[in-house]
Amino acid sequence: MKKKVLSALLSVAMVATLLVGCGGSSAPAAESAPAEEAAPAEEAAAEEAPAAAEGGFHFELVSKGFQHQFWQAVLQGAQEKADELGDTMNFVGPNSESDIADQVQMFNNAINANPDAIGLAALDTSALLDAISAAQAAGIPIVGFDSGVPDAPEGAVLANAATNNYNAGILAAEETFKLIEDKLEAGAVIGVLSQDAVSQSVGDRGLGFIDKMAELVSGKGLTVDVTGNEKFVNETKATVTAGGDVTIDVKVPAQVTAELSQTDCLNLLNTPGIICVYGSNEHSAVAIVSANETVGTVGKDVVGIGFDAGATLKGAVRDGVLAGAVTQAPFAMGAATVELLHKAAMGESIADVDTGCTWYTADNMDEPAIAVNLYD
Amino acid sequence: MTDKEKKGGLSNNPIVKKIGGQRLVVIFVIVALFAFFCAKSPTFRQYSTILNLLDTSYYVTYMAIGVTFALITGGNDLSVGTGMVCYSLIGGYVVTKLGLPIGVGILLTVLCGVLMGILNGFLVAVMELPAFIATLCTMMIARGMGSICTKSQSINWPQASSAQGWFRSLFKITVGETKYPLGFLWVIILVIVMSIILTKTKPGRYIIAIGSNKEATRLSGVNVIKWHMLAYIICGFFTGLAGLAYGATFQTVAPGTGAGLELDAICAAIIGGTSMTGGSGSIIGTLLGVFIMSLLKTGLPFIGLQANWQQIITGIVLLVAVLIDVIRSKQAKRA
Repeated sequence: MKKKVLSALLSVAMVATLLVGCGGSSAPAAESAPAEEAAPAEEAAAEEAPAAAEGGFHFELVSKGFQHQFWQAVLQGAQEKADELGDTMNFVGPNSESDIADQVQMFNNAINANPDAIGLAALDTSALLDAISAAQAAGIPIVGFDSGVPDAPEGAVLANAATNNYNAGILAAEETFKLIEDKLEAGAVIGVLSQDAVSQSVGDRGLGFIDKMAELVSGKGLTVDVTGNEKFVNETKATVTAGGDVTIDVKVPAQVTAELSQTDCLNLLNTPGIICVYGSNEHSAVAIVSANETVGTVGKDVVGIGFDAGATLKGAVRDGVLAGAVTQAPFAMGAATVELLHKAAMGESIADVDTGCTWYTADNMDEPAIAVNLYD
Repeated sequence: MTDKEKKGGLSNNPIVKKIGGQRLVVIFVIVALFAFFCAKSPTFRQYSTILNLLDTSYYVTYMAIGVTFALITGGNDLSVGTGMVCYSLIGGYVVTKLGLPIGVGILLTVLCGVLMGILNGFLVAVMELPAFIATLCTMMIARGMGSICTKSQSINWPQASSAQGWFRSLFKITVGETKYPLGFLWVIILVIVMSIILTKTKPGRYIIAIGSNKEATRLSGVNVIKWHMLAYIICGFFTGLAGLAYGATFQTVAPGTGAGLELDAICAAIIGGTSMTGGSGSIIGTLLGVFIMSLLKTGLPFIGLQANWQQIITGIVLLVAVLIDVIRSKQAKRA
């Protein structure tokens, strides 16, 4: 009896899964192409099959996951470049950016697939060290992308295709400064929201912004103090004056949840003297938008600056809640990664590529060169 | 067995008293925390902070009300965290990507929760799997399902300004220039309704009885499977509501997230006096528990504590809150 019930349950579950699967795949009819290419790991096997059809190479790309739409654009750029070069690739990523063990497993699987080269955006380099030496032993070249493979052993990673996040932070500071120059006075507060204090990419974007902003503010004859999260206070290269005229206040939540980042932003927006808030990735920038639903001062008294894209952010930039945002070039990043992989597989020597970033506002976000990087 | 029987037999008097005592402690902690944060941080003492505090508490409250029912049966529901995100993703997906009316999205979000509740209830009540294992599995399923249904893309529920954005006014309504936490009204109503259902109606009493002593309840002629399942369905329904509140508060829902949020809900229920071994609990207590959690999460960043310290302090405060309860109930037993 129990067995019957169990098998009935399993059948129902299977049918339900199928239905969900089918329902899902009919969806892109109403949606644009990237959604279709998005389905991650499951399609991997299918993609692997036609390897070497045109005598092309096969690459394995291990990303940080598909949680942020950023990765969909990377995947799209990589896929188009691979098609163009006649190569095949398998693009995978863990469920979330905290699934370090899953990524290690995926990287091991990638090595076992014996590809011509592997692309890697490491979540945690130290967890991957064994696997990296296994790849080296097997003679498979590794190319880093996105935040690459920080602190990788000498010679393990041939080159990186990545945004220079520090420079991206500088770009954000320069553009922000133009907007807040008139409001700068003693007592002014500039808020920085950082998703965490661990990841190098987010850290660099914050530090680039803080350092450049401090330099620009000092140029106006005002002293600067940096307060808030210890990492940023300790690592900034800015000349810091305790109790300075202008305060740069850096908030980092205890956990990466929408709730805590929104609370941090609210805290900044309620601070007397606040003139500007900068969110250094999609998560933090969305927190500005949702905190503003409670306060309503961003886009009026307070200048909001974002980073990355996504529907909420794009909407906020279009509506003027956010004055502007910096976007990386995920599409170009995907393409550059595959190009590096191709060259590595050919045995050519390769060097790092800065895939660049762009400042966008309501005025220029529809220009094709920029729009291609603004994923939904 | 004998212990549980005693507990069940005495449920009318001392346990109710105990819950009352726990509530007093919790209320005291809430007032103390609130006063402390207000005194320490001028940016905390503002209307927008209170509004934000309420705003970010709705989804936890709904999850916690639901999970209270699962806990009272002596079980648990670990699927509420990822489940909530999953239902919110699915509901948001049909609205923003398939272009269906927002009403359909709302119904679907809640329906998904109910379906998961039925599945959990089936596994626990009918198949007699340990609730911890069964819901741990459905937690993983929900996490993956959310990603698959949305093709691993984050979902943006309609913005307040758009035509479909009216549903967000259900939680935060703007009258003139001022915003009011309308969602809190629904929370209060639902807390009262669920309190009455739990304590004054047959289904509620049966659910408590199952948690006290399932076998004795069955032997007294109660269809335990049915009422046991109902507890999980209620839990699923409220998780669906939580999914709505989450979508309305945060707009952007990212697939693959939500793991860990169930612990906030379970913790809130326990602080509120719900027994982890089942058989007792109160919805009002749970609501108070949610407030402690939310106050800590909102208040600690405001007094300038570093991220890691916030977690340590949260851990200690929760520990003390539960410890006081344990000591109190030990004393009550001796007396």
